[in-house]
Amino acid sequence: MRQYFSQVAAIVWKDLVTELKTRELFSTMFVFSVLVILIFIFSINLSIVKATEVGPGVLWVAFLFAGTLGLNRSFMLEKENGCLQGLILTPADRTTIYFGKFISNLVFLLLMEAFILPLFMVFFNVDLLAHLGSLLVVILLGTFGFCALGTLLSSLSSNLKTREVMLPILLYPLMVPVVIGSVRMTGQVLEGVPLSTMMNWVGLTLCFDVIFIGVSIMTIDHILEE
Amino acid sequence: MNEEAAREGEGSPVLIWITALALLAAMVAIFIYVPTEKTEGAVQRIMYFHIPSAWVSFLAFFVVFLSSILFLWKKEREWDIYAHASAEVGVLFCTLVLITGPIWARPIWGAWWVWDARLTLTLVLWLIYVAYLMLRAQTDAGSMRARYAAVLGIAGFLDIPLIHFSVLWWRAFHPLPKVITSEGLGKGMDPAMLATLFISLGAFTCLYFALMGQRVNLEKLRDDIDRLKKDALDSD
Repeated sequence: MRQYFSQVAAIVWKDLVTELKTRELFSTMFVFSVLVILIFIFSINLSIVKATEVGPGVLWVAFLFAGTLGLNRSFMLEKENGCLQGLILTPADRTTIYFGKFISNLVFLLLMEAFILPLFMVFFNVDLLAHLGSLLVVILLGTFGFCALGTLLSSLSSNLKTREVMLPILLYPLMVPVVIGSVRMTGQVLEGVPLSTMMNWVGLTLCFDVIFIGVSIMTIDHILEE
Repeated sequence: MNEEAAREGEGSPVLIWITALALLAAMVAIFIYVPTEKTEGAVQRIMYFHIPSAWVSFLAFFVVFLSSILFLWKKEREWDIYAHASAEVGVLFCTLVLITGPIWARPIWGAWWVWDARLTLTLVLWLIYVAYLMLRAQTDAGSMRARYAAVLGIAGFLDIPLIHFSVLWWRAFHPLPKVITSEGLGKGMDPAMLATLFISLGAFTCLYFALMGQRVNLEKLRDDIDRLKKDALDSD
């Protein structure tokens, strides 16, 4: 078991070091999500609509779009120079590759969200600090589910002819429950409603997270088969 | 191998005849036998196409799910063919649901589309399985395509209950349209209408199996041609 964790940690470490050296991914994701928020601000009139009503939707769309960039990148990087082949050839279990990639995707996305949230607070003039605890729980649950399913599908789409285009087409319809749930929960939390009144949404998102981690463990062997 | 395929081909006309007769019976029931609904008028008759199409598409997507699991388990090309054929038929009927729905909704609800839970679910389902077919079109024939499609077939079907609850709660603040709840069997439904609905459901189910049979046969013939081509190339 300890060996398994150290194998996963090695893959995560490799991704983090690569990112520290190049700093390509993080800057792309961050700038892109700022642009998404900006475009939404132009397309809605904030003097008419309430910020807490449209804000959560804009925030999650920005997370989702930027997250898709990260997911696309995560397995493409491995395809170059046949790195994935090397990873598959290591005597480690295939699920370690999945979990390694999953954790590094999760770390990148959470880090980017940590930078986006203060900007969101300023742009939309919403007070996030008052409900920070519940907000972080909601964001963690949603991002977890996004990365769980996203890592599985990006491992698959990286082998297709039109990879960058196919990932969102495969991923977004399946993400519907998490998107609806996260936007709804974020909106309620910003209105000051306690999280305990939305246990159905919390449960649904948790179910999603657990189901797709399970599906990934069961099926990743069939995708990373060469 | 060829004889076997030929025999299967002979078997399917029986099913096609049964389907044709069942559909004929359904048409008679829908357009002649069943009384016109009092408040909605003739447009209500589209329900006898709408509900069976919805049922067939759900059945088809369930078959995709089962075939995908069986494929990953047994790795037999047979199951991949079933999943592919069923996804195509399912998308066809799901499209029919999305077309017949607005035709009915326009005069009754006064809008082509309402963001109601069921409509949203159907649209998302359609998108998932169109993506499934696109994935199949994107990859070259072979074990990779079959494995990838199977993974998506499993993930897509497991997502359906989650999508169902999320869209249900998403629209929980809005009252559900009365017409849709009264579509539930039993209460207040005329026996003749109920009978027509069941005839139509039966006929559409037959149609599903007939189309599946044709599609599976076609795919097997395609495999045969590929094999023959390869043999011919090798012998040269």
